[in-house]
Amino acid sequence: MTSSTTLDPAPKKALQAKRRRSFSKRDRLTLGFFIGIPTFLHVALVWFPAAATIYLSFTYWTGIHIADIQWAGLANYENIFFNTPIFWDALRVNVIWLIWFGVIATPLGILLAYQIDREIRGSKFYQAAYYLPVVLSLAVIGIIWNFLLRPDGLVNGLLGLEISEAVSFFGDDRYNIWVILTMASWRHIGYIMLLYLAGLKAVDASLREAASIDGSTEWQTFRKVVFPTMKPVNVIVIVITIIESLRAFDLIYIIYGSSGGLPILGVLVFQNIAGEGASMKGAAYAVILFLLSIVPIIAYLRAQFKEDMK
Amino acid sequence: MLNKITGHQVDRRLLLKGAAAGGLGIAGATMLAGCASAASGPMSFGARTVDESPTKQLEALVAAYTAKSGNEVTYNATESNAFQNNLSQYLQGTPDDCFQWMAGYRMQFFADQGLLEDVSDVWDDIGNQYSESYKIASTGLDGKQYFVPQSWYPWGMHFRKSMMTEIGMNPEDLYNWDDFMGALAELKGQGLIGLAAANKGGWEAQGTFDILNARLNGYQFHVDLLGGREKWTDDRVKEVFKHWEMLLPYQNNNVLDLEWDGAMQLLLQKQSGFFMMGSWFGGNFLEQSQEDYDDLMIIPFPEINPDHARDTVDAPLDGFCVASNGGNSGVGKEFIKFAGDMEGVQAMLDTGVPMTSANSGQDQSGYDAFQVAQQAVMDEAKYITQFLDRDTRPDFAGPIVGPAFQSWFKDPSSTNDILESMQSQWDALAPL
Repeated sequence: MTSSTTLDPAPKKALQAKRRRSFSKRDRLTLGFFIGIPTFLHVALVWFPAAATIYLSFTYWTGIHIADIQWAGLANYENIFFNTPIFWDALRVNVIWLIWFGVIATPLGILLAYQIDREIRGSKFYQAAYYLPVVLSLAVIGIIWNFLLRPDGLVNGLLGLEISEAVSFFGDDRYNIWVILTMASWRHIGYIMLLYLAGLKAVDASLREAASIDGSTEWQTFRKVVFPTMKPVNVIVIVITIIESLRAFDLIYIIYGSSGGLPILGVLVFQNIAGEGASMKGAAYAVILFLLSIVPIIAYLRAQFKEDMK
Repeated sequence: MLNKITGHQVDRRLLLKGAAAGGLGIAGATMLAGCASAASGPMSFGARTVDESPTKQLEALVAAYTAKSGNEVTYNATESNAFQNNLSQYLQGTPDDCFQWMAGYRMQFFADQGLLEDVSDVWDDIGNQYSESYKIASTGLDGKQYFVPQSWYPWGMHFRKSMMTEIGMNPEDLYNWDDFMGALAELKGQGLIGLAAANKGGWEAQGTFDILNARLNGYQFHVDLLGGREKWTDDRVKEVFKHWEMLLPYQNNNVLDLEWDGAMQLLLQKQSGFFMMGSWFGGNFLEQSQEDYDDLMIIPFPEINPDHARDTVDAPLDGFCVASNGGNSGVGKEFIKFAGDMEGVQAMLDTGVPMTSANSGQDQSGYDAFQVAQQAVMDEAKYITQFLDRDTRPDFAGPIVGPAFQSWFKDPSSTNDILESMQSQWDALAPL
């Protein structure tokens, strides 16, 4: 053992030194510049705030003087889980959002991509029409739909309803969530469609040809040939669907402000961490949201990579 | 940046102290005097509104100050919700030297954090133009003043005179709850909404809660409840919601879909008889037309419990503060003094935008009928409260009370659950 360990490092070191020598001074400078600065920025702007948020979620703090930070243990989390009914309401909305995106919006985007890829008549027009909302930010989409659907908006105006009789698109719990999801899907479908379309263009046409020669139906071709070859795109689409549904914020904020008219986790984070009402309960919400987003994604990616290894 | 500025202030104070201690009292005094009158250089002013009428007023104030002092003032306007949400970041960064804010707990909180400049010396100069209650409302927890009032407005039942005449109702006669419920039933009978209500923003309905609680249980209970000395699960609070529930059949049923301006539209378009709101929205009526404004009138919320009559009113006080981290707080203080002084108040009044100034120098004989009625609502009250979200902890009012009242509107039968949850959330708040 001793002999092997004493022997080993020497060649390794030599190798390393050799490799290091192969970079000129200028190379090293350039590399340092191109790797160092982004790494620094990434750590400073992403990892540091993330770590700080995790730490702060275990404290009481008004967000003003560093000296006022008080250790709170799990108090913020206990408060959220056991005292705050709006948290469960928000979680419910986020889960519905995720299911809706996963089961309806994303498959619809894929379907559209597939149809357009077959170059049906007017496909360019459809492509442009579906893709248009993606150019707009969710905030702008919120403003547009708000103009249409608010009590004194266009739709209620066309229906000839006074403000007091207006259909309560955003206020009535029976359908406000579906209205919001329709608005969000309007953009999400186009986004997924574009991603998928790009992937479909890259699928070798001879594969489909071969499948159809073998007598496979359209559906079989898609399920058994096209879909599996699209795996990298599928992974991206799934990850995006999860992220988009959990990080939902802007649309709701434009329509409801931070008042909690339709509670979602993103707004709860904001409401409890910004402004006068700031407390580190907001940080705890952020950590919960972070875990909710990261855990399924990591689990999914791990499963995927494991399969690839086989 | 923060340290640099506070450090700089300490230096200046030390310098003055040193000068005085060194037997240079006279020199020190002249230096001080020099500082006070010759504070100069550009400053910036932060307005908490982008609405037409108040902007006109504030720009007139700024122009008058610039004309008088020769100091250039940059005018920065932010929409009020956004301003509120960003205030703590704003005050810790590079805030405007003088900015618009509110009296009460909201001001005291930031004063306590050292983010507001002590303006006690401004009060020494112009304090005689304000009543004692306004001075108290401008005072921080440490007994110093951090705020100079601009204007006040009462919360009450607003209605349109012409509409009431048509119906043949005389709102001035509605004194107590029974009178009022009778009136609501009559309005409903005519196919009208009795009481226009909104709560999409989460704060609008807080005014109704405040007044019901004060009417039923009195000023002291209300203040104690908001201060955490009484419990939300108290039967007296449940009583408030029972009375509130009686109002629901007479309200528009899309309360959660309307913000304050939506409910105001109901009154403006004569679809509703009454509108419970702060009188500040009179400016929006005036933007519509002089005729609409002249038609607007206010009465106090009716008596419910004869023990408390109509002795309390929510009358928020808006005004100005000087930020500690502003670049030129010397000029900021001079500006706030001008704004509080009758001279500055007059500049705002001269714009013709109706304003009930907190300055006792405002000539009340010039009040229009609506302003006279506002004053009458104030005069009848013995106790003045600010408003729920100005009288209690901000981490309670916004994130907890707002959604709780919204969920009550969704299901009024769940009062007990909601109150229990509010109390347990209060108990779980971070220790101060």
